[in-house]
Amino acid sequence: MNKRYLVGVFDNEHTLVDAFEKALEEGVVIEEVYTPYPIHEILTGMKNKTRISYAAFFYGLFGAVTLLGGMYYAAVIDWPLHFGGKPFNTFPSFIVVTIVATILTITILTLLTFSVRSKIYPGKKADIIDIRATDDKFIILLDQDKMGMEKPEVTSLFQTYGATEVYEKEANSN
Amino acid sequence: MYKTEIRGKLIDGEKSLGQISQEILAPIDAKTPRWWFIAMGISLAMLAFGVKSIYVTLTQGIGTWGVNSTVAWGWEIINFVWWIGIGHAGTAFSIFLLILRQKWRTAINRAAEAMTVVAVFCAALFPLMHMGRPWLFFYIFPYPNTRGPLWVNFNSPLFWDFMAISAYLLISASFWYFGMVPDFATIRDTTKSKIKKAVYGFFAFGWTGSSKEWMRYEGLAFVLGGIAAVLVVSVHSIVSTDFAVSIEPGWHTTLFPPYFVVGAIFSGFAMVLTLVTLMKKLYKMGDFITENHVDAVCRILVFISLIMGTAYITEIFIAWYSGSEYEMYTFFKNRITGEYAIQFWGMFIFNALLPQLFWSRKIRRNLWIVFIISLFINLGMWFERFNIVVTSLSKNFLPASWAEYHPTIIEIGFFVGTLGMFSAGVLLFFRYIPQIAIAEVKMISKYNTQQYDHLKPGHHDYE
Repeated sequence: MNKRYLVGVFDNEHTLVDAFEKALEEGVVIEEVYTPYPIHEILTGMKNKTRISYAAFFYGLFGAVTLLGGMYYAAVIDWPLHFGGKPFNTFPSFIVVTIVATILTITILTLLTFSVRSKIYPGKKADIIDIRATDDKFIILLDQDKMGMEKPEVTSLFQTYGATEVYEKEANSN
Repeated sequence: MYKTEIRGKLIDGEKSLGQISQEILAPIDAKTPRWWFIAMGISLAMLAFGVKSIYVTLTQGIGTWGVNSTVAWGWEIINFVWWIGIGHAGTAFSIFLLILRQKWRTAINRAAEAMTVVAVFCAALFPLMHMGRPWLFFYIFPYPNTRGPLWVNFNSPLFWDFMAISAYLLISASFWYFGMVPDFATIRDTTKSKIKKAVYGFFAFGWTGSSKEWMRYEGLAFVLGGIAAVLVVSVHSIVSTDFAVSIEPGWHTTLFPPYFVVGAIFSGFAMVLTLVTLMKKLYKMGDFITENHVDAVCRILVFISLIMGTAYITEIFIAWYSGSEYEMYTFFKNRITGEYAIQFWGMFIFNALLPQLFWSRKIRRNLWIVFIISLFINLGMWFERFNIVVTSLSKNFLPASWAEYHPTIIEIGFFVGTLGMFSAGVLLFFRYIPQIAIAEVKMISKYNTQQYDHLKPGHHDYE
């Protein structure tokens, strides 16, 4: 289904953040903000949460336990070897591999999680609202059916706070 | 916070965000310059020499090298440690400077990370060929197999090393790549060429720059940055255990892990300096990589050089203080004097003394001298590894087994080949990938403008 959007275009971070914060105060519902680089105020203002660091912690726990368990199995249960009277379970020297391979596990699994959750993968066709958002423009996107304020009011609010353009756009919602 | 009035501007010239993308992407859009083809030709010729040497090694065996049963590790291990050391700077650069909130890193980290990936790849070739029968290299993977099932030795530093290098290669490559995704999107959205749009669009993973994406992206950078810092320190410590857990005189010291980690960062930063001076000169990136950036890297090098000097002197002092005649012999008769004295003094002068010139502001600001010193540091670090590997092995505890070591043309060719591979990789990077992290430079560009002073107090200094 095609949705009607209202797009506010800003020239710099300064005007964008001002307009963004004002709009939130006025109760405007903001669908999404597109910027060339991450902006703290936007990320907190959009109330997006990421739990990726918790995920990473559990991947690490899983990796460390699996690795230590695997080495214990190989060196103590499956193929114990006597060397120099040392114990089969040479725990301290297992730590080295555990650290390195745990880091590898965390990296690979966290990257996969990022890819799955953000729907970012090789060859994906980007849903571009305004092509300048990865270059030098800052874009606020509003869904016209539920933006919590009338169109002329939003338009004038954006313009007061320094929007260079405000235009309508129809796009496929997904 | 970064104080422009004290540290100098991060970006020269008043640049709009659009200009930043345009100028950084200029080498990708421009016609390939002629010097690039010449440099590529030379690199490929060197690589061909390397491929020939590898072919000879594969078909005739390790006997074609100059190593013998006493000096069993020759140029291959020297070059391996040298390359992996250079490969350390990229991640060290990104991670440590990120943790220390050094904003100037943004102009350099992409090049440093690119260098890491190519250098670690070069490094990995050496132990692979040193296995003798590299086609059986998969025996080192610890998986349930039909050979017993026989497991690898989890107590062996050589196995740790294998794990460390593979992990380091994968992690630094993915760290580098994910940093590039927003920049690929910028190319996709600004280029006029249809082919580039398709190719970079494929690699941009559908990036749009929405707040959701940036949120997770920042979370990911936080996680990867945090754990990669541990990795940087542990990988080269592990490389040092290849030496330190053996009982050769001159190797069996507790100093080795920190000594190797610092040495690695030292050689890597020197190589970063070499690359950024090239970028400044050849690609006119001087507005982004300013004199202040070069200055900052030079200051770090002075500091690390002092640590290196301290480490060298500590080794010598402890050899004397321990009262062990083998240690005494190794350091005083076989390193400071003796047939390998040139390598020792080369190492000492190039690593501990020469970088002290960077105390002078005039020298830090002279790009030619900086470039030349950076090359000498790389040479000095190569001598350091020669000094460690060959002197200890050639004269160990049993005089009857003493031997000399001279590299053969095959070993030299192998090394030249990796040099060619490295420069070819760097040239491809210069040509096809944004040399500077565009999104990150845009993020710091606000520190340059007047407008930043007028931002209200509530605006955070966002890293």
